[in-house]
Amino acid sequence: MTDYRDNEHISTLARELSEKKIDRREFVRFATLLGLSATAAYGLAGKITGEAFAPAARAQALPKGGTIRIGNRIKEIKNPHTYSWGGYDSNMSRQVVEYLTFTDEKGATHPYLAESWTATPDLKTWTFKLRNDVKWSNGEPLTADHVVWNLKRVLDPEVGSSMIGLMSSYMLKDDPTQKDAKGNPKQVLWDANAIEKVDNSTFRFNCKVAQVAVPEHLFHYVMAILHPDENGVFQVGSKGTGAFELVEFEVGKKATFKAKKGYWGGDANVDMIEMTDTGDDPTAAISALASKQLHGLVFADPLQYDALAALPHLQLYSVATGETVVLRMKVTEKPFNDVRVRQAMRYAIDQGPILQVALHGLGREGQHHHTSPAHPEYAELPPFKRDLAKAKQLLAAAGFPNGLDTEIFVPTDLPWGQVQVESAVEQWKDAGIRVKINLMPGASYWDVWTKVPFGSTIWYHRPLAIMTYGLAYRTGAPWNESAYSNKEFDDLLTQAEGTIDVNKRREFMAKLEKILQDDGPLVQPLFRDTFTFMDKRVKGFSMHPTNYFFGWKVGLAEA
Amino acid sequence: MITFIGKRLLGLVGTLLIASFLVFAVTEFSPGNVARKTLGPFAAQESVDLLYQKLHLNDSLPVRYVRWLGVLTGVIADPLQDPALKLDFKDPRGDRYFGNFGYSTLYKLPVNDVIWNRLGNTALLAGISFALIVPLSLIFGVLAGMREGSFLDRTISVFGIVATSIPEFASGVFLVAIFVVALRLLPGTSPLTTGGGGWSLASQFVLPVAVLVLYDSGYVVRMVRGSTAEVMSKPYIRTAILKGLSFKTVVWRHAVRNAMIAPFTVILLQINFLISGVVVTEMVFAYPGFGRMLLEASLFGDIALIEAATLVALAVATTTQLLSDLGYALLNPQIRVG
Repeated sequence: MTDYRDNEHISTLARELSEKKIDRREFVRFATLLGLSATAAYGLAGKITGEAFAPAARAQALPKGGTIRIGNRIKEIKNPHTYSWGGYDSNMSRQVVEYLTFTDEKGATHPYLAESWTATPDLKTWTFKLRNDVKWSNGEPLTADHVVWNLKRVLDPEVGSSMIGLMSSYMLKDDPTQKDAKGNPKQVLWDANAIEKVDNSTFRFNCKVAQVAVPEHLFHYVMAILHPDENGVFQVGSKGTGAFELVEFEVGKKATFKAKKGYWGGDANVDMIEMTDTGDDPTAAISALASKQLHGLVFADPLQYDALAALPHLQLYSVATGETVVLRMKVTEKPFNDVRVRQAMRYAIDQGPILQVALHGLGREGQHHHTSPAHPEYAELPPFKRDLAKAKQLLAAAGFPNGLDTEIFVPTDLPWGQVQVESAVEQWKDAGIRVKINLMPGASYWDVWTKVPFGSTIWYHRPLAIMTYGLAYRTGAPWNESAYSNKEFDDLLTQAEGTIDVNKRREFMAKLEKILQDDGPLVQPLFRDTFTFMDKRVKGFSMHPTNYFFGWKVGLAEA
Repeated sequence: MITFIGKRLLGLVGTLLIASFLVFAVTEFSPGNVARKTLGPFAAQESVDLLYQKLHLNDSLPVRYVRWLGVLTGVIADPLQDPALKLDFKDPRGDRYFGNFGYSTLYKLPVNDVIWNRLGNTALLAGISFALIVPLSLIFGVLAGMREGSFLDRTISVFGIVATSIPEFASGVFLVAIFVVALRLLPGTSPLTTGGGGWSLASQFVLPVAVLVLYDSGYVVRMVRGSTAEVMSKPYIRTAILKGLSFKTVVWRHAVRNAMIAPFTVILLQINFLISGVVVTEMVFAYPGFGRMLLEASLFGDIALIEAATLVALAVATTTQLLSDLGYALLNPQIRVG
């Protein structure tokens, strides 16, 4: 690993930390992104600020053996590179196949399959070195060829992976000589050498433009490193580098994982993980925890909070996040193609009461720009307040003097999201906006979520706000469900993605946030804190803002 | 008698044919595309179209229906199992046999590997419930009906109305609150696996069965009670009492048999309810049964599974109907089948 003094970005960060422009947490987050190990970054932060550095708590010895039983929805898991969920599916494959990097619950990115990485000062060339002790379940060592195969696969538009939304700005270009089915130019790697194998255990990203979040992108839940022989398919018996093997799987019922001997990270503490599907009814999960049939849930719903908090054998784990449900309007559909209508929808909303009703206050108010105070680059704008007169005036100007009738599509598999819509609909009524709620089973909603004119979509937490922006609001990104397209926004976003100086970056963010507030396709009343409950017998667990569950972290104490 | 049963069986086949066609036609108009659901929202449209084609969903409705019938009866091989399609659909029984329900796109397994296990689970739940519902309803129904307006009648009737008017999801949560959370006597869900919390399989049946019995017997008790009360007001009962028979003999020898005719049909209808109507109970207790499977299949648009489940549910319904007609003849000598 390079000395931090060689990297002007880390020097910039260090200067900002000493001048108290950024806090220690931000310093660690960005320094680790640039390849400084988390321990070194914490240590360096201590040196700069003069505060004593508290050594990481020694990994406490965890109890060995036993089967940990976790409640999870058992959905289709066949294609990790195109997962659209993260919450359910990747928490199964995650036990078997692993990622190059690891972003912890505090936002610091650590080595995982990649042992170390360095970036050139222009942030365009990122070199990753793999651990040399990682073996697939068949004994074959992990090589740079395997990784390059995975990276090229997710960046092939025909595969349809959401990695394209994250990486297209710095890894892809339009090829006018090739057309996709719709006649648009096909996206290809911007340079034949964009993903480069350096040697057997080293690979490199040669980026088109500067990008600060490459290591964090590599922890995105679709970026699991699969064995090339599997051809992108994950199923019972698939090869993996992880601590467990998938031994049993039945959609809607159960997935069983067995610990594997000789895991590179040291054998897992538990012998087995059993994940059980308790169905669409949130009370079934409560009952299963109450009678100790399950030790915990991958994540809990606010509607379950009161009941679970009353069970004395359970422990609450929670963390503040950028997780939210956006009420997004497709800008290509009437009446939402009129920016005044979209503004009116926002001005009619009073966030505070919605936060209370939908989450019992377990979260924070949103400002309709999808950046959370939990994000390091959050720029605080003047509070976006409810203004009914303005909403009515905007509607009248848009040609709806007598108000507006429309319909919102809402999946029923997320109860608090449904409550949020119901309270928003009540508030819209005051501005003469009459919204009919069209409830759909989750499975049906996810079939049409990018198509409906007005929908209620959950977005999980991502460590950086620019990652969400790249996925959801950049022109043409596969997950851009609202078909939002704004040249100024795209350009500013690309610039923000290449800016390491937090304060400069925050200036870009302020502009980006303002664009979404003024012109954007979303009404976003709140961010939630994610939480779950685990039996007090479960040791070593910590809540991850993206609800990730890691079987190798936990142990199970005797009853 | 034989002709009667033969005719009814023919009717059954006719009903199944019509119903299976209707299911095909209805799923045609339901939203969502199975190919899209299989590949996920982010698959390229071309791959979706290709899979759509591979699943032979482009063909017209009659063509697909006839092909489905052909596969079911074993006349033609299941085209989806063709290895050249790379769908990875493999059935250990082969691709051409009688009773081939096809391949479930939701579970990625042959329908025959999914449905019987689930049906078995539900049959077990339904069987235990039925074995309790029938005697309980008869005893309490007759007790209430034999002295209409008595204190016993009022008590049983009120209890029956309350039990039947509380929906299953409410009584389920209520029973969980008492027996699982407060008393810790029973498991809260019934995954039908042992291990989690050390609950036996038997203990996992208690609550779902209790919910079904409460909900359903309340209704059947009311039916039995009504019928018994009506019979008790008949002149021949009065005659029997006046000629000096004990009240017990009157009820047992004269009233019960005559009072059973109407409730008999109702009781057999409960079998249909218990097979496909238990979906709410299965959801509350996360029970891996037939109702929950049918719900999930319908939401996904898994036509092979929906068809198979519909045929099974219909076959059960028609069989119980036949049984009730035959039973009628036995209970009432005035009725002759044929």
